Amino acid sequence: MEAARRWWSRYALIVFLLILPVAFGVHDIVATGGVTRIAENLKDGISNGAIWALVAIGYTLVYGIIELINFAHGDVFMIGSLVSTGLWGTLGLTLTTGTGGLIPGLILSLIIAMIACGSLNVLIERVGYRPLRGAPKLAPLITAVGFSFILQNVGLLWIGGSQTSVPDLLHAQQDLFNIGGVHIFRADLLSIAVMVPLVVLLVTFLARSRMGKAMRATAQNPEAARLMGINVDTTISVTFLLGGTLAGAAGLVYALYQTTIWYFQGFRAGLIAFTAAVMGGIGNVYGAVLGGLIIGCIQQISDNRLGGQWTNILVFGYLVAIMVLRPRGLLGEETREAG
Amino acid sequence: MTSARTPAAGTEPAEQPSEDALLSAQDVSKSFGGLLAVSDVTFSIPERGIVSMIGPNGAGKTTFFNMLTGLYRPTSGVISFRGRDITRMRPDRITALGIARTFQNIRLFGTMTALENVLVGEHARMRAGLIGSILRPPRVRREERSAHEKAQELLGYVGLPASVMGLLAVNLSYGDQRRVEIARALASDPSLLLLDEPTAGMNADESARLVAFMRQLRDERGVAILLIEHDMKVVMEVSERVTVLDHGEKIAEGKPQTVAGDPRVVEAYLGKRGGTE
Amino acid sequence: MSAGDGNLGAGGQNRMARIRERYGVLRRRGDAIWARRYARLAIVLVAAAAVILFPYLFQPGSTFLFDLVEAVAFVVMALGLNVVVGFAGLLDLGYVAFFAIGAYTIGWFGSGFFAYVNHTKGIHILTSGLASTLPGIHINLTAGRQGITPIDPGQLPGLNPFDPLNLRPWYWVALGMVAIVLLVNVRLRDSRLGRAWVALREDEVAAASMGVPLVKTKLMAYATGAAFGGMSGAFIASYLNTVNADQFAFSFSIFVLAMVILGGLGSIWGVVLGAIVLSFINTWLIPSVIPNLSSKIGIKVDLTSLSYGIFGFLLVIMMVLRPQGLLPERRRKLEFVEHVGTGPTDMSAERV
Repeated sequence: MEAARRWWSRYALIVFLLILPVAFGVHDIVATGGVTRIAENLKDGISNGAIWALVAIGYTLVYGIIELINFAHGDVFMIGSLVSTGLWGTLGLTLTTGTGGLIPGLILSLIIAMIACGSLNVLIERVGYRPLRGAPKLAPLITAVGFSFILQNVGLLWIGGSQTSVPDLLHAQQDLFNIGGVHIFRADLLSIAVMVPLVVLLVTFLARSRMGKAMRATAQNPEAARLMGINVDTTISVTFLLGGTLAGAAGLVYALYQTTIWYFQGFRAGLIAFTAAVMGGIGNVYGAVLGGLIIGCIQQISDNRLGGQWTNILVFGYLVAIMVLRPRGLLGEETREAG
Repeated sequence: MTSARTPAAGTEPAEQPSEDALLSAQDVSKSFGGLLAVSDVTFSIPERGIVSMIGPNGAGKTTFFNMLTGLYRPTSGVISFRGRDITRMRPDRITALGIARTFQNIRLFGTMTALENVLVGEHARMRAGLIGSILRPPRVRREERSAHEKAQELLGYVGLPASVMGLLAVNLSYGDQRRVEIARALASDPSLLLLDEPTAGMNADESARLVAFMRQLRDERGVAILLIEHDMKVVMEVSERVTVLDHGEKIAEGKPQTVAGDPRVVEAYLGKRGGTE
Repeated sequence: MSAGDGNLGAGGQNRMARIRERYGVLRRRGDAIWARRYARLAIVLVAAAAVILFPYLFQPGSTFLFDLVEAVAFVVMALGLNVVVGFAGLLDLGYVAFFAIGAYTIGWFGSGFFAYVNHTKGIHILTSGLASTLPGIHINLTAGRQGITPIDPGQLPGLNPFDPLNLRPWYWVALGMVAIVLLVNVRLRDSRLGRAWVALREDEVAAASMGVPLVKTKLMAYATGAAFGGMSGAFIASYLNTVNADQFAFSFSIFVLAMVILGGLGSIWGVVLGAIVLSFINTWLIPSVIPNLSSKIGIKVDLTSLSYGIFGFLLVIMMVLRPQGLLPERRRKLEFVEHVGTGPTDMSAERV
């Protein structure tokens, strides 16, 4: 009995994470003789989740450095979608544009969206959070909510209240190739092709560059960092810049992937991304990515098997379970004293 | 040889860990990941004794303290208080049993007054619950009144002037903050008081007064005291027994003079030099 | 030093004079204290009367009164959340759940929801997919987006049965709830539990070391807050005559949290003010005043489409300009002011 308890406390988390795919995988084998369906669910989950991962990184970086849940971050992502799709019109990118014009055009809109969102995030920090550095931790939370509303209104004015289609420039659902029956679409490749390099770049930056070290130092102990000559204000601004650029990239990918945009998409994405960041261990970049991917998979499995109404229940049920089984998050560090 | 007597400072023989001890720790270790902070320490405190734990910085003294009060869980070993196993007990339960502490860097509740800080210290000895606090029946009102009186008395006992009892803790002087911390610890009627570097920041005069105060606590209130200290004068002056930790291990234990002359102790503090103190 | 044998003598007369003088001083100081207390009581009574009689200034069915009752219900909510976030310092983003539980509870029992059987055999969950294909009886838990409506209004003995045309009884019931919540808040603030919460908020580790059981104390805070959230939720459901899933968005939790923070974390009257201000901004300023404003100033833009943004802008402005809240808690103010206490016994007189 004691041995069983010890086994459970070590492996319960893994059991929880695997139970959905394994259960449905078994169901698939029994029902169809193969695992194609569950594999497809997981593939979709990963490519969807990659978008959440990019947004989640912004949440985790900001929380790690100033312990603030940047509620406006999801809406920055939404602005990223709007900026990039707006640019398509300006650049004259349509369904008929040839590859020679499309690729540079998309890269340009990616860059501009990233710059725009990065700057937006920095601006928000400067105006709404920096003045409140000394205030109780909950005060900037309200400014974040305020900015969230403002940005949503901007979206509302820009594209109206309902979901808007955008040109499917990349032919997102076009079949690229086939792995054992699982169709890989262009959308999937796009998602991973954007996320992976960005994450690698970011992690390298954090580990190697001076500013990256400054960011990590400030996250651990702002006072000591200041005493060591680190300009904490600049470091925080850079953090917001990085988070914002990633959100901008995610915005473009989302628009190409889903081919619809909506002023409310940021709020929804923000909730998911923040959950992903917490699940993975707040403050940890890899954790945010992992959390995003996991949630993507849960969502796909749920949408596909149980119906959309159950998805939120499952996602947040998983959050609760992970928090109970491992309060610091999947990859978080144990920072508290015991007891 | 029992530990129930009131010993005069510096004259009692060193106590061995015995079942009569107020608190006893057997082979207690604590590791954080790969780092072994405390290694197989066996230690006991006699009833109404004043004992000290010394050692160079990083020796594991505060970690050991934290295990005694339940903030850290020992990786191995057993800690018992009055014969009761408290190894895995929550800190608030341990306080309720009668162990109280102060902190190395003062941890008062800054936005509460000195009086309120001490009142929080009485939490374990009060009984008002949610409903009682809302309805305030006579029993609860009486409890509040006597709690306030006790808090005032304790603050007076530690020498805090009445004029500052209503000040917020952040606005008190360093010395007064130390006093409030001790009063707060005494508020739970402990039989064992753990003081973590209580003389930090004090001059010789104040230290001497603290020494007298500790003896007073032992004699008047029957409180045993475990002291972490760096001020050797104080240690020599007040301890009945001194335990030395270095790199997580106990390297010496005994009467103050004996320990002071122990070459291992000297080496631990001064490094391998072989000179005398 | 005393005379000892009862004879006053010269020294004794001096003493008597001194005693009389001190008695006189005390009597005057005592009088002053009593005068202050009577004055305070008078002010409180007048204010209470004003608050109770307020609705008579308006038509029984006026829209202002409608918004006012909603604001008062929000005061109850905010004061409940204040216990969790303000006193104990616990961030609670899920407060809307208690609103929902309270609302659905009254929805279930205050309408025919459980009593009527669907015209098809058995009762079905209003969902699609796997679950509804399972045979058997399903319990209808929520009516999804459609909601449960109408809900019988509460009947209190002695008062006329409520009806939507006369909003005054609603107002007084809401006021009654506020009175209860206020009492609880005030009593808890200066109690063993209240102190434990502040200690917990300041320094959890030190609090535990002083004997405060962390989990139990936090649960007490959540439970108290939840109780008032549910109470207010039941009232609002009955008042609005409907309960449906759309009412319980995440943004509701944020809305109530904003009231607490805007009012001044932990400060009871600040939270009351914050709740009233935000509720009115939401139900009155933005829907009614601003559109009228735009035509008066001659702006062509339809300001209603900016209501989100205006609300957000107001939040940002209010927080940046006054982060400590409208009526900050005494403690936070005192941090910056050297204050010579007159002794512990006076402290209880200082509070509300």
